[in-house]
Amino acid sequence: MLIKFTLNGDPAEVHLKSPDRLLVDVLREDLQLTGTKHGCGIGACGTCTVIIDGAPISSCLQLAALCDGTDVRTVEGLAEAGVLHPVQQAFINKSAMQCGICIPGHVMQCVSLIEKNPNPSDEEIRASADSVYCRCTGYVKIMDAYREAAALLKKAGKS
Amino acid sequence: MSTRALKDPKFESGLLVVGKDVPRTDAIPKVTGAAQYVADIHMPGMLHAAVLRSPHPHARILSIDTSAARSMPGVKAVVTGEDTAKRKWGAFRPDLYPLAINKVRYVGDEVAAVAAIDPETARAAVDRIVVEYEVLTGVFSLDEAMAPGAALVHDDTPGNVAHEFAFERGDVDAGFKASDVIVEGTWDSIRQWHSSLETIGCVAHWANNRVSMWCNTQTPFLARGRYAIALGVPESQVRVIQTEVGGGFGGKSGDDNGSVIAAILARKSGRPVKLIHTREEEFLASHPRMPMRYWVRLGFSKAGKVLAKEIRMWADNGAYTGKSQAILGAATVRHDALYKYPNARAKSTLLYTNLVPTGAFRGFGNPSADWAVEQAWDLAAEKLKIDVVDLLRLNAVEEGDVSPHNHKITSGELRQCIDKAAELIQWKKKRKARKDGHGLGMGCSIHVNGRRSFGDWDGSSAIVRINEDGRATIITGEGEIGQGTLTVLRQIAAEELGLPYEDVDITRPDTDVHPHSLGALASRVTYVAGNAVKLAANAAHKQLMAAAAEQFKKPAEDLTIINGQIGPKKGAESEFKPVSAVVRANIYKRGGEAIVGVGNWDNPSEFPDHSRYGNESGAYNFAAQAVEVEVDRGTGVVTLKEISAVVDCGTVIHPAAAQGQVEGAVVQGIGLAMTEYFDWHQGTPTDPQYIDYPLPSADFVPKIHVGFADSYEPSGPFGAKGLGEIGLDAIPAAIANAIADAVGVRIHQLPITAEKIHRALHPELYADEKVARAAPPKGGVWTRLATGRPSGTRPFAMELVTPKTVDEAITLYAAGDTAIVSGGMSHALRRERTGFPQAKRLMNVGRIPELLEIINKNNCLRIGSAVNQQTLITLPELRERWAALAEALDAAGHTRVRQMTTVGGSVAPLIGGFDMPVALLALNARVITATPAGRKTRTLAEAFEKRFAKDEMVIAVEVDALPAHSGSAFHKFLPRGVMETPAANAAATVTLDANGKCIAAHLVVGAVSWKPVVPDLSSLKGAAFDEVKIRAAVQAVRDMAQPLANVRGSAMYKRNMAVEIGARTLIRAWQKAMQNK
Repeated sequence: MLIKFTLNGDPAEVHLKSPDRLLVDVLREDLQLTGTKHGCGIGACGTCTVIIDGAPISSCLQLAALCDGTDVRTVEGLAEAGVLHPVQQAFINKSAMQCGICIPGHVMQCVSLIEKNPNPSDEEIRASADSVYCRCTGYVKIMDAYREAAALLKKAGKS
Repeated sequence: MSTRALKDPKFESGLLVVGKDVPRTDAIPKVTGAAQYVADIHMPGMLHAAVLRSPHPHARILSIDTSAARSMPGVKAVVTGEDTAKRKWGAFRPDLYPLAINKVRYVGDEVAAVAAIDPETARAAVDRIVVEYEVLTGVFSLDEAMAPGAALVHDDTPGNVAHEFAFERGDVDAGFKASDVIVEGTWDSIRQWHSSLETIGCVAHWANNRVSMWCNTQTPFLARGRYAIALGVPESQVRVIQTEVGGGFGGKSGDDNGSVIAAILARKSGRPVKLIHTREEEFLASHPRMPMRYWVRLGFSKAGKVLAKEIRMWADNGAYTGKSQAILGAATVRHDALYKYPNARAKSTLLYTNLVPTGAFRGFGNPSADWAVEQAWDLAAEKLKIDVVDLLRLNAVEEGDVSPHNHKITSGELRQCIDKAAELIQWKKKRKARKDGHGLGMGCSIHVNGRRSFGDWDGSSAIVRINEDGRATIITGEGEIGQGTLTVLRQIAAEELGLPYEDVDITRPDTDVHPHSLGALASRVTYVAGNAVKLAANAAHKQLMAAAAEQFKKPAEDLTIINGQIGPKKGAESEFKPVSAVVRANIYKRGGEAIVGVGNWDNPSEFPDHSRYGNESGAYNFAAQAVEVEVDRGTGVVTLKEISAVVDCGTVIHPAAAQGQVEGAVVQGIGLAMTEYFDWHQGTPTDPQYIDYPLPSADFVPKIHVGFADSYEPSGPFGAKGLGEIGLDAIPAAIANAIADAVGVRIHQLPITAEKIHRALHPELYADEKVARAAPPKGGVWTRLATGRPSGTRPFAMELVTPKTVDEAITLYAAGDTAIVSGGMSHALRRERTGFPQAKRLMNVGRIPELLEIINKNNCLRIGSAVNQQTLITLPELRERWAALAEALDAAGHTRVRQMTTVGGSVAPLIGGFDMPVALLALNARVITATPAGRKTRTLAEAFEKRFAKDEMVIAVEVDALPAHSGSAFHKFLPRGVMETPAANAAATVTLDANGKCIAAHLVVGAVSWKPVVPDLSSLKGAAFDEVKIRAAVQAVRDMAQPLANVRGSAMYKRNMAVEIGARTLIRAWQKAMQNK
């Protein structure tokens, strides 16, 4: 079956091998967008988080067929013309990564929060960061990166 | 003056790059998704592999029939043990075949493998391989392994004893004889999985009689050497290229059969083959932390001086040895260099079992030793009536000390670590002003910086080139696994060269190109590789200065490099010229030379003898960690309040990365202590996934104060030592010590569970406990393995239909072969994909307008079944009018989960453990369903009693607002403190009259029976708020609950919690009702 959707701002069309094909496989295998990572396959770890119609979802559970007509965003779509998204810059500024495999998930989760809520409280940051596992950092620097992202966005808004 | 100032010759001049938080080398690729991990590799013609694993913990293979798999379209190669070199491999004690020969020894043992054109075909082919087994008796515990006449895991290993250490240093008996206070005890540790979010994987390709292997290994050269043995080829026939590594922690330094199998399949098929562990395979067949039973006895003088130590230890090797022999050694001797032990005796035994083989994991035996010995020290402090902080200080090793095993402490600021850790957590202040249920604990640890173990060399070899553009390149085979190697080595080279950090590049390991190195293990890279890179940079720097001397016609010592420019010391700016010009002029001349510095550095350590005597590392790092906990006496749940972690790693080269190492290690230690454990059945975890094995998540992490001792290691690069592992080691013991301090309960067996504490605090609540025999679990991997569907996935062709109206949908649904999807987490879909397909078509109900409606009219909320929970929770009036429902949605935890979970998906399966139906039951909700015969409205309670008909589809739920003067509440009880299936959940509503007397009270307790438990609360009618009375009324829940024992608690604990959580929820609803006047 054929599905059409918007992918990182561009039109995309994919012929699904079967209707139970998952979004994460369509992104990684059919479209070669390997920035989205496969962590557990049961929606628990959040590594595969992408944004559909503004909301974070687990692409390892999401039937690709249901994405027909939606707006899908992945980590590859954040930087524009080589300029990093403030959330990406924030993760760099705070050294908020080690092995990096969960970082696309954390970055997308952070983007989904901060676009709706540019001034998240510490509690909201905790709740958001809580939804994506990280085995390396202990989350301290990831939560610092959320605060940094909010500050960078504010700065960008002023200039 | 600080330690560093005293010892560091460069301290006065100041360091330019070392000690600065420069941007990480790997940062941009990692935040943009461009970093290439092994699973991201795609090659033309590449095949995908799947592995058939043993469903039996111990069995003889009688026959393997691969014909059906081989004849499947799309299958390109099928291999078994017959296709291998039949050579055993392993780091220290070769006992592992790449694919089983004759016997399997644990559930997960590799038996056969397939390479096919896509992953789905490969997995389907694996399911068609037929293996005939003769099942043998297995040994599943230390006791079973060492019982007389026990079954042998390896026929050539009598008594299942894989290795033993024994030694006595000094006179231990005399030490105990002289002791005034003696403490002893036995402590058990458990298997912990690395759980890197990237699983183990490899892409292999044979060309020109050589195999290239793109691996996420931590140790490319050691891997090459061992793969060569397993494949039966010389080392130079194997090329290992390290991809980006998505987390290691020791788990990617082991004997991974997967990579070898990928190579065997690639040889047979003649095409590149990708093999990536699924998450389940990672749990079944990667090599977790080795559990130990650790008996320890310590003797002290009255003043608190330690006089003797004795240990006896047994370790569970699992089915194959890997590095476990060395891990045993570390756990036996290492701790003896932490305190000033004058006499020490030990015996330790490594035992084979028919369980998943164990291996290296951050801490390498030390966490199990610390779990026991650091608790024994805490007991000693109690008995000696000395604050544990003072006792540890008194006995801490210091610079110049030599341990009983000849460990030479060349720098050691343990005492400083203890003091700083106590200060950061305000130990003294909190000890004075004690709060009920609060406690403090401390633990210390020591670690190596590299260890001489793979032969008499623990060195590193590096090359530093200075290019004609003035930039330098570091060429090293050590590799990055996330810990910051690339960044730290660039800092060291830049500092030594006098070049800006940005002007120094570094290569990624490829064994065809790079000089020999051992890779990321034993906290060695900063210390060992750092020294090699420093030497190489120094050599390159000398060549550069010699070239400059010739070109400037001045002695080299009169020249200097400032910011990429070379010129005379104290010269004018105009006298300087760029490094690039000097290099270019040195190459492009008759007989010119490139600038290439080589550095070889060997750890100044000794190769330990058979009794582990010998200074195994040139330097040692130290840590002290303090933990504050609060224990809930009603549930046993431990809340971590604060942790301080102070490390002596010499000079800190990159502060942010160093903090990150400590923070991450602390959190892994928390996981080891409190969240990471499975249910087991017949030698295997029953559901090897993150559902049963939750990692600590962000919300579980307390405030962590990280500190570094002021320290300088003379043999380290710029005074630095390693710090990758040490932050983990003492955390479980420190938590246990804090719990003992808080409520007097001493935990001897990992994991620390709320139930263990609750049992110790309330033995009377367990007096009439009857322990039921464990039944085989339903569902999950165990069932799949037992029923011969091992791959975990079956491809199934089906159609997806998207009806536009309810009528259309119910007609389709009534056919009986349709599974509904709309949110994403369809239970039906998961069942279909995991091996028992029933449905012929999937039906997306998410585009039916009626099912997406939320109507709030006349104090009644009607919610369509395709509404997702996230949409519902954002309804402004929900929290005020339907608080229990809002709190149940909160309890789902995450926006992402709510976004993918619909109301219908939560309600229609009628599962009493789900949060939403429990809240809806308490609120007396109604459910509206449809069949081709028409629509029906009934209470949700009635639906739970009578269930839905097969063709009945949930359309909506309706829930009335509570009358005035009411309150409602919901509580999800998670004994591990992290998001997972609850051990119990409860919702309550209370309505009061004008005088504050109860008109109606309603309590629903879920997850403790096949349907929600609803106690009769009529005794509370007319009553005023009275906690004792409420608790008495809720007692009925204990006998109504029929919980199943599982990883979240025993049946009896769950019964007790059903009462406790029920009471708390009802009390909170009542209190809200009193406020809602």
